[in-house]
Amino acid sequence: MASLAALPLAVVGQVEKGFIQKRTGSACQGKPSHLFCFDWARENIDRYGTPTLQQLELVAISIVIGFVVAFALALLAHRRRWLRPPLLAGTGILYAIPSISFFLLLLPITGRSRETAIIALSAYTLQIIFRNVTVGLDNVPASATDSARGMGMTERQVLWRVEIPLATPEIIGGLRIATVSTIAIATLAVFAGAGGLGTQILGEANLTFPTTILIVIGIVMAMAFFFDAILLTIQYYATPWRRARAS
Amino acid sequence: MPTGEAAPDIQSQSGASSVSYEGATKRYGSSGAFAVDHLTLEVPAGEICVLVGPSGCGKTTAMRMVNRTVEMTEGDVLVGGQSVHDREPAQLRREIGYVIQQIGLFPHRTIAENIGAVPQLLGWKKDRTRARTTELLELIGLDPELGDRYPAQLSGGQQQRVGVARALAADPLVMLMDEPFGAIDPINRERLQNQFLRLQAEIQKTVLFVTHDIDEAIKMGDRIAILREGGKVEQYATPAEILMAPATEFVEDFVGADRALKRLALMRVSDIDLWEAPLAHVGQATAEVRAKLADPDVEVPYPLLVDSERRPLGWLSARDLEAETVPSAPDSPLGPLLDRDDVMRDALADLLQGEAQYAAVVDHAGRIDGVLSVEIISEFLASPQAKTEEHSAVERPHG
Amino acid sequence: MIGIAPLFASFGGAIEFILTPQTSNVTGGNTVGGLDQVIELMLAQLEVTVLALALSILIALPLGLYLGHKGVGEVAAVGLGNAGRAIPELGLIALMAAVIGVGLGNLTIALAVLGIPPILTNTFVGVREVDAATVQAARGMGMTELEIVRKVEAPMAVTSVFTGIRTATIGIVATATIAPLAGVATLGEFILGEDVYGTDGVLAGAILVAVLALVLEFSLAALQRRMTSKGLKLRPA
Repeated sequence: MASLAALPLAVVGQVEKGFIQKRTGSACQGKPSHLFCFDWARENIDRYGTPTLQQLELVAISIVIGFVVAFALALLAHRRRWLRPPLLAGTGILYAIPSISFFLLLLPITGRSRETAIIALSAYTLQIIFRNVTVGLDNVPASATDSARGMGMTERQVLWRVEIPLATPEIIGGLRIATVSTIAIATLAVFAGAGGLGTQILGEANLTFPTTILIVIGIVMAMAFFFDAILLTIQYYATPWRRARAS
Repeated sequence: MPTGEAAPDIQSQSGASSVSYEGATKRYGSSGAFAVDHLTLEVPAGEICVLVGPSGCGKTTAMRMVNRTVEMTEGDVLVGGQSVHDREPAQLRREIGYVIQQIGLFPHRTIAENIGAVPQLLGWKKDRTRARTTELLELIGLDPELGDRYPAQLSGGQQQRVGVARALAADPLVMLMDEPFGAIDPINRERLQNQFLRLQAEIQKTVLFVTHDIDEAIKMGDRIAILREGGKVEQYATPAEILMAPATEFVEDFVGADRALKRLALMRVSDIDLWEAPLAHVGQATAEVRAKLADPDVEVPYPLLVDSERRPLGWLSARDLEAETVPSAPDSPLGPLLDRDDVMRDALADLLQGEAQYAAVVDHAGRIDGVLSVEIISEFLASPQAKTEEHSAVERPHG
Repeated sequence: MIGIAPLFASFGGAIEFILTPQTSNVTGGNTVGGLDQVIELMLAQLEVTVLALALSILIALPLGLYLGHKGVGEVAAVGLGNAGRAIPELGLIALMAAVIGVGLGNLTIALAVLGIPPILTNTFVGVREVDAATVQAARGMGMTELEIVRKVEAPMAVTSVFTGIRTATIGIVATATIAPLAGVATLGEFILGEDVYGTDGVLAGAILVAVLALVLEFSLAALQRRMTSKGLKLRPA
């Protein structure tokens, strides 16, 4: 347990110290092995508001940036096929680098900041979104694009009126995976000094207190499912033709 | 109409353009093989020209040169007297209907939106597009209510008709059809072919029609260009000429040994003298019917039961005639029912498929017109008339 | 933005930390860093990654093949994959340490929780995507159900299975970085122990974790290419 003692409190700037007294002084006194202390949760739920908003903000900005960049790259690779292997490999590397490592590699450049977290998180989403958009565009039936060109659509019209609408399910599918994963991973943004719910886990006081860990897990997963459901709903209404199969 | 004055027949009244290939050539690679080799042929406005040949003969490539979805290496194609090279491809294509085997409807757009695709590109007003869409749905025999459905909700045959309607939407000068009925089952294909021929009689577009099926070519074409590997035209003529006088051995082989039988594809049931069946009405005394049958000149030995509008209901058997009066439910079902306008070859197929000796033929209103039998057809094929009167028989009832 | 020179200094310091042991300027006196310690911790991270990955494959692969072959449990198999992505790694490790206890065994199980969902989902999907006609043909030529899975469905699902394994590996090796929170010393030791190893140590840890993750990713990609049947690599014209 030597490493526990050596917790990086310097890295984890926002971790609160000393709130262990407040905790043991409340309703959970005498039951230290309590898995989840409802009384404490009720009294302290406020402290999760700001970190939750921080995490949401990080995710939202990262997904928007990641989507814009990956979508543009996918369109580029759709026109110039030879760009696809290098772009897949490049985004694959960004995807494979563990976020925690990515944050710290950026520290000498961008410092302990929101920007550091956003750069690493959006870099992480590129591969997922790029791959899905590419697959979506590939799956557009050749007969549809052939007749689109044959009836006199310009290349731009073929792209925006036929190919991208038909790739919508895959595009939103990629957004869903990216969003859910990023919401979970953003918990690590505490290592970039960007706050978020990770602040409520790291620190010796928290690490031995399952209630706060469970609350964070609960908030993160609820957030992930909520946004997944929203994206699924958008997909449902954006692709009416997929519902109109057999009738 | 840039060259209208110089060539008055270049555009027909209904807005169709002639198409002229002038040494049109497509090679792959700088010195590669010819896909299309100096193709020169003239398709008059308002006619269906079928490009037919084995796979690899360049027929699709040749067709695609017209709307520049394939760029020629050499030569020219004139649409309505104007070189396609002088046109912006997208603009050119909006004036040319395009139908492909895989149909290529946009799965994410409704039927109405699919049909209105070219009008939308041309910037038509919404009302005008909507009116045109309804008009076209009616023209192809689909309920305008189907306009709100998506392609996946239609049958393959319906989708193909929508594909044709979409190509016709902006009243194109030329239609390109690449194996349009190739993916449809044989029964529906025949129906779609007939429907398209009826439609064409009305709209009189210039149609370039690609197929690998010589029977379809004979049925659909006013003229047929037979191509062989390497994109060379072996013969360009009317179906009758090709059947009667194949220009080369290749054409003879391609047309097949059953040329006589294929000639039936050029005829309609109405082109031949039908037999007359003794007619019977419900409730009529069977004695009267029996008397008709006793006539030595009777051509069909079974009485045909018809309703008050002379629409055939079925055949009466000997047992039916044992009763006092003609029963309302005949013993033998009607069997195959033919239309006067059916192609003779299909009629023969129906007869053989129905294992029937006789088939009732009706007119547009469904009233009895006569009876066709296998015997009539075989007599016709054996007669010298079949060889000499080919040309008159070739005339299309709707041309 | 900072200049190039301090940047060189930062990364240079980190590289130096990796190569040569040095006296810690933070706690004073302790000798930290150097190739020996780096290799020891890297092997430790590799060990727990491989263990957790093996456990994940052992559970998820047969289950995915079975469910995919039977065509049952789609909602569960796919839903689990989605839910797995939503688990915050930090929370998972912390919870395990606080509730179950620390140590290599517990950590392996916790990491397998992250590894199982992607492998299960991708195996399931990969098997379901095998052309039904191919399976019917196999059955028609007299293969047993087990043979169908082994000789037809599994080889054809290789690409998808590997996608799952690679996703699982990326998640596991990344999370193994915070293993010191669960009492297992990995490269995360440098990252979480700034007060022992200094900023050079933190940066060195980040570099080493990234290198380890990429090496694993490239190895698996190479293995995938070797294990995919030649016929499946050909793209239909």
